[in-house]
Amino acid sequence: MTLNIHWRLDPAAEPLRSEPGTEHALPAFIRDRRATSRNRFDYYVQVARAVAQTAFDGLFVRHRSEADESRIIAAIVARETPRLLVVPEFPASVGSAVYAAKQAATFQRATHGRLGWAIAAEENAASREAEADFVPDEDLRQRLDEFLTVARGVHRDRPFTFQGRHFEVLDGGFEAPLNQHRFPKLFLQGEDDGALALSARHADVHLFAPGPVDVLAERIATLNTLTAVEGRQVAAGLIQPLLVREDRDGAENDVQHLPLASGTLVASYDEAADQLAAYAAAGVTELLLEAVPTLEEAYRVGQHLLPRLRARTGAARKAA
Amino acid sequence: MSIDFYWRLPTHGCHNSLHTSGYERGDWSPLKPGNIAPGLGRDGEPDGFTYIDHLTEIAKAAESVGFLGGLIPSFPNTDDPWVIAPLLARETRSFRFMIAFQPGFGNPVHTARMAASLQRATGGRLLFNIITGGGGPAQLWWGDSFAHDDRYGRTSEFLDIFRGVWDSPNVSYDGRFYQLRGGGLPPLLRREEFPEIWFSGSSDAALRTSARHADYYLSWLEPFDQLGDKFARVKERTAALGREQKCAVRVDLVARATEEEAWRDIRIGFENVSEETRQRWRGQPTDSVGASRQAALRPTDARRYDELIVAPNLWGGFNLLRGGPALGIVGSYEQCAARLADLIARGADAFILAGTPHLEEAWRIGEEVLPLLGRQARTLLAAAE
Repeated sequence: MTLNIHWRLDPAAEPLRSEPGTEHALPAFIRDRRATSRNRFDYYVQVARAVAQTAFDGLFVRHRSEADESRIIAAIVARETPRLLVVPEFPASVGSAVYAAKQAATFQRATHGRLGWAIAAEENAASREAEADFVPDEDLRQRLDEFLTVARGVHRDRPFTFQGRHFEVLDGGFEAPLNQHRFPKLFLQGEDDGALALSARHADVHLFAPGPVDVLAERIATLNTLTAVEGRQVAAGLIQPLLVREDRDGAENDVQHLPLASGTLVASYDEAADQLAAYAAAGVTELLLEAVPTLEEAYRVGQHLLPRLRARTGAARKAA
Repeated sequence: MSIDFYWRLPTHGCHNSLHTSGYERGDWSPLKPGNIAPGLGRDGEPDGFTYIDHLTEIAKAAESVGFLGGLIPSFPNTDDPWVIAPLLARETRSFRFMIAFQPGFGNPVHTARMAASLQRATGGRLLFNIITGGGGPAQLWWGDSFAHDDRYGRTSEFLDIFRGVWDSPNVSYDGRFYQLRGGGLPPLLRREEFPEIWFSGSSDAALRTSARHADYYLSWLEPFDQLGDKFARVKERTAALGREQKCAVRVDLVARATEEEAWRDIRIGFENVSEETRQRWRGQPTDSVGASRQAALRPTDARRYDELIVAPNLWGGFNLLRGGPALGIVGSYEQCAARLADLIARGADAFILAGTPHLEEAWRIGEEVLPLLGRQARTLLAAAE
C-alpha cells in the first residue's frame, strides 16, 4: 500500500506572520518597501508551496473558529499549487449539504480533482451555540450521517430524493458537467466505535489520534471488521504532531520551549522514521503530520524525515 | 454622484457568439475542436485548462477596462461563486466579487467567517447579491423546503446575525429560524469592512426585506417606465425606514458600431434558436414574481425577431439566446449609451452589464459604450445648466 503523507496548516498558528498591522516592524532606518497589498494569505500560500516543494502528498487546513475559514484558504492555495491534494477541515454545521457538495464540485473542476474533505470534531454545546448550532449532543452523529448521505447522494445520483431529520432533498442531484469529478476524498475522525461505524459507511480515510502501535492496530482491526460489513474499504490514517530534530538530545532540549500537543512524537529523524514506519506496518496508509512553526517545520520534515520514512516503507513493500 | 458599473461572470459556460446555442467555452456542451477551457490538444485530448481559466480571462478583461467587478450567479447547474471568488482572488487586483447567495443555504456565523476571510484575502473586494425567491421545484433541488414568504423571514434573520457577529464579539439572538448564544467573529475578521448587500426580488416580501437590509435593490431590466416606478417605490419605502437604498439594473447589451449591425446579430441569433430551446423555456414553473413580470412577453411564441422589439433599442427575446432575463438593450454604441443614461435618469445608481461572449464584449462595452455615456452625461448636465 502506498503511504500518503500530508502536512497540516493551522491558520491560527504564527498569527503575526503576514498579518497587516501586527506583523514584524523594522527599525525606521531600514528602508521598508514591502507592498501594502500583502496579507495573511501570502503566508498560507507560502506554506502550501513549501509543502508541495518538499514532496508531501497533501495539505490539510484546520478549522479554527478564531481564524480564516478553511475552505476559502483551501481554494486560494489550491490555485497556487499545481499538485497537492488540499483538504479543508470544516464542521457539519456549515449549512446545506447540497450546497457544500456543489461547492466541492466547482473546486474539483477547477483543480483537476484535488479536493479532500475533513469533517472537524464536534465542539461542546456552548461553542456550537455561539455558531448558531443548537443540534443537541445526541443528534450530532445522525446529523453528520445525513449530511454525508445527502452530499454523496446529490453528487452520485440523479434524481436523488432524501427525507431525514436534518436534511431534505426532492428530485435533486447534479447534472453534467458538475458530476464528472470524484467526490472529495473524505476524512473522518473520532475514537469511539460509533465514529468507526460512521466512517465504515462514509469515509475514505478514518483518522486516528496518536497512540501506541498495538492499540492502533487493534482499532484498525475493528475499523476493518465494520467496513467489511458495509462492503466497503476505509483506509486508516494517523494524525501525528511532531517535534523532530537531528538527534534526540536536540529534540528533548527544544521541548522546553514549546507547549506541545498531546501525543507529540519527540524524536530524532531516524527514530521518528522508525516509529512512523511501525505505524505503516500496522496498517496506517495516510499520515497527517504537523509541527510549528508551520513553514520551517514543513521544510524540516519534508527534507529530513520524509526521505527516511519513504526509504523504510518502500523497502518494506519490496520485501513483501 | 458616481455610478457603479459591474460586469458578469458566466457560471454556466459561455457561447462563442449570440449566433450559436452551444457553449463553446467551458464544458457545458460536448467538447469539439475549437472549444476553449478545456480546449482539445493535437490528439483530441483535453489540454489541461479548465473553465476557471476562462473566467480568469473575463475577470481580468473587466477589471482592465474599468468595471468595478462582476456578478457571479448561482443556479443548480452552474459553478459556485463561493469557490470562484477565492480561486480568482490572487489573479486579479481590483475586481470585486459579487457572490449570488441564498442565505438559507449557509450557517449565518460560518458564512460571516467565510465572507470576512475573503475580505482579508482580497483587500475588501467582496459583496453579495442576496437571493431569496426562485422557489418551486428548484428550492427542493437545493434541499430547501421553506415556503416563499418564510424564506424572506429567514433571509432577514440571517442578515441580522450575519451583520451582528461582524459588529460585535458577543451576540445572542432568538429568532423564528435562527438562534445564537454568545457568537461573534474574532477581532482580525471583524475589522474588515462589511460587504455591500445587493438584494433581488420583486414581491412585497422582497421589497420589505430589502428596505431593511440592502444597500442596493437590484432588478432585471423592465420596460423603462415600469422600472422607474419600481425604483421610486423602493426608495420611498426605504426612506420611510430612515435608511437609504440605491437601485441597480442587471442588463444584457448588444452594442455595435451601427444599429443595423446590432439588429443583424439579433436576427441571426433568433433564427438559429431551436424548437427544443423554445420548449425548454416555455412556461417555466416558478413562484418568483420577478420572473413572471418578464414571462408576460412570451418570447418563446414569437415567429420573427422584430415582434419582440418592445421599445426603441429594447428587445425581449434574450432568454432564447442564452440563459437569463428576456429583456435587453440592442443598438449602436451611442444608442446603448443613451439608454443607459435614460436608466440613470430614472433612478439607476449602478449597473450589472453583460454581453455574449463575455470576454470580448467586456472589452467592447468598456471601450466603446461607457466612454460615450460619460460624454452624454456631461452634455445632459451642461444642458440642465
